[in-house]
Amino acid sequence: MIRPSILAMVLAGGRVDELGVLTHYRPKSAVPFGGYARVIDFALSNLLHSGIERVAILSQYRSYSLINHIGTGAAWDMVGRSRGISILPPFKDYSNPHWYRGSADAVFQNLDFIRHYNPAVLLILSGDHIYQMDYSRMIRYHNERDADLTAAFVKVPVESASRFGVAEIADEGPCGGRVLNYEEKPKKTNSTWASLTLFCFKPSVLIKVLTQNQDAASYEFGRDIIPMMMQQNYKVYGYAFQGYWGYTKTIDEYWQTSMDLLGDSPKINMEAWGVRTNLHHRDIVNRQPVKIGSQGKLSNSLVYDGCVIEGVVRNSILFPGVHVRSGAEVNNSIVFFDNIVHEGVRMNRVVCDVDTVFNRGAIIGAPAEEGASGGVTVIGSRNVVPAGMRIGHGCVVAPGLAAAAWPEKHLQDGEALQ
Amino acid sequence: MRESGDALVLLLAGGIGSRLNLLVGHRAKPAVPFAGLYRIIDFSLSNVMNSGLSRVGVLTQYKPLSLMAHIGTGEAWDFTGRSRGVKILPPRTGEKDADWYRGTADAIRQNIDFVENNPADQVVILSGDHIYRMDFDAMLAYHQHKKADVTIGMMVVPKRDIHQFGAGIIDSDNRIIDWEEKPAIPRTNLASMGIYIFDTSYLLRTLAKDREEVDFGMHIIPRAIHEDRVFAYPFYGYWRDVGTIQAYWEANMDVLRTGSGISPEEWEICSNPEYGDQPMDRQAARFVSGCDVRSSMVCAGCVIEGTVTNSILSPGVWVRKGARVHNSVIFHDSVIEENAVVDLTICDKRVYVYEGAVVGHGDQLHVANKLFPKHLYTGISLIGKEARIPANARVGRNCRVNLGFQEEDFNGTLELAAGESI
Repeated sequence: MIRPSILAMVLAGGRVDELGVLTHYRPKSAVPFGGYARVIDFALSNLLHSGIERVAILSQYRSYSLINHIGTGAAWDMVGRSRGISILPPFKDYSNPHWYRGSADAVFQNLDFIRHYNPAVLLILSGDHIYQMDYSRMIRYHNERDADLTAAFVKVPVESASRFGVAEIADEGPCGGRVLNYEEKPKKTNSTWASLTLFCFKPSVLIKVLTQNQDAASYEFGRDIIPMMMQQNYKVYGYAFQGYWGYTKTIDEYWQTSMDLLGDSPKINMEAWGVRTNLHHRDIVNRQPVKIGSQGKLSNSLVYDGCVIEGVVRNSILFPGVHVRSGAEVNNSIVFFDNIVHEGVRMNRVVCDVDTVFNRGAIIGAPAEEGASGGVTVIGSRNVVPAGMRIGHGCVVAPGLAAAAWPEKHLQDGEALQ
Repeated sequence: MRESGDALVLLLAGGIGSRLNLLVGHRAKPAVPFAGLYRIIDFSLSNVMNSGLSRVGVLTQYKPLSLMAHIGTGEAWDFTGRSRGVKILPPRTGEKDADWYRGTADAIRQNIDFVENNPADQVVILSGDHIYRMDFDAMLAYHQHKKADVTIGMMVVPKRDIHQFGAGIIDSDNRIIDWEEKPAIPRTNLASMGIYIFDTSYLLRTLAKDREEVDFGMHIIPRAIHEDRVFAYPFYGYWRDVGTIQAYWEANMDVLRTGSGISPEEWEICSNPEYGDQPMDRQAARFVSGCDVRSSMVCAGCVIEGTVTNSILSPGVWVRKGARVHNSVIFHDSVIEENAVVDLTICDKRVYVYEGAVVGHGDQLHVANKLFPKHLYTGISLIGKEARIPANARVGRNCRVNLGFQEEDFNGTLELAAGESI
């Protein structure tokens, strides 16, 4: 029997502070995206379509939502004799009392798992990004170059480059070339190749460098492992990724990346990309078709099964089970599962987490005039927004607030409600 | 949890349903799509699941492939597990029986080994082609309480409709004392829904009596009411036999109307998302700027640029700019091209209506279809699976466009007057 020669490990454990209330109860990779899916579905679907059949998910922060979402792995066809998804949580044993102390440490703590499958190539990737990619081409490039490490890079505007790991890559053709120089989040850089946090490793080399790294004080692939390998003159290649790459590190970025799903020629086309999700998660599978009432009005929006639209929805993304009652207006917003938006509610530039009720006449977010902007307001899950409440732009409302926690009438622009 | 024991369920899913015309051209009636993302049989299967019953045999006969694929392992209705299961029971030849099923009772008789091999105190016999919600557990408790041999689910229907049904006359204890099968002049308005609970031992005995008794409504029940304890279980609520094009269309429209009494999600109706054109890999429905959608249901994977009113769109339907869809039921992955109009029409899967074509043209709603005057006579037109309606065509009322019809089949501009077929 042919056994898989590639093992993929998905880094899905992190909570990103900037995403705030959306990651109170779930890791970033489990944040809903695109009207029905989760962020990690992009990585998992890429793995599926790349023919990679043995996958491990390194999960640490609030893993329940993620474990629930992965289920058996059947949604991504990862069930079978030689196919499978394993979730690898942190653990204690005789010698190791630590949580995962970083991405590299997480992999190091699971070296036994890697040795057990003994893959020819180890693919390590972040579960936090929105993109479509055929990993098998990158793996082929990695093998052709006989590289120790091949990291994927994408062109970003120079002004945002300092937020990523950036590299200078030798011009050896359209696929990329040898990495000449690598810096993690440099203060100033001229390079525009940003790391996707997607690596092909030669397993023997990886084991060696991770073991070496255990003596250090920091355990990150970008910050520690790649610079170390550059310094020790390992063969490190850069693979140039040409497509769309969306990231969701902050609320504003999450909102912007989501908006890339909309418009006349959307940059993200989940169906064409073959993005799959677990339809049993949050019972998506049992929702009836979107029901649009006689007063419903929809424009430039994505709406999933289980929604009931009696009001106005513009430039927005609605997850299953959202009810927009008549006279309510949802503009430029992303509304997660099972929110109820009552009569007369107006929202603009808002991200609402699951199970929140907006009572009559509440006004949330930036003023709705054309072209008006202002920071995105985010409302945590399981809230009951009082009738007539006014919440400004750039506000943050924590999940599950008690009724007494709400101010009398309004929340000023930029305020946070804990 | 159930208190009435683990009854065995037999689902009769073999009927042709020929009055559904093109919709049953290559699928059994229970497999006909309904309300966007369901199939008719999902209602029976979900009722079984929601009643806590977990052993089901599905008797198939007519064009069973899409039905079998849809049922799959039965996982969608929680029929997988050590003691749970759904089995497809196709017709077969045995030592004695080499015939197709001759009727409902004959179908059960030919599968009597399945009943014997799945011991249960009661057997619930259902039809797979009705739209309703019902708790069979409550009906089982009623059956046991009445110490009945047979209990029949019955409901009040308008007298003018009773001629389609078996009709029962009951005493004050709901015991059925007289029976008329499809009476021309009815004495009662209490109709059989084709839902039977039999005590298993009684069922085995009564089926063994006379092999010429091939139908429950025609033979078994009329004899049983004289000899044995047969009770009516009254049902109140929404129930439709969607066996005609008109009834099928009306029931779909009922799903759109608030207060009509039918709501698949509230009824906890489940479908199998992992078969065929279901939403497994569909993205959220896309409503493009400038679209106008009202009083409609739209499934994941649809893209709406034009106007949609009073219609049900299955997954993956495209309504292009300037196109208008009214009062219609459109199955999976059909495309209504720019400025085309579809009115009062049922389009099967992957129908293509090209630019500027009009389906449901004119106001001759009462010119019945010439080939099938008893199927198409209320104005509804029917477009068969994968048919292609050429640009600027005019298709009138009560028309029928055959499966896979293509432009090459026809010279010049297609004009189909009311009542015509092609």
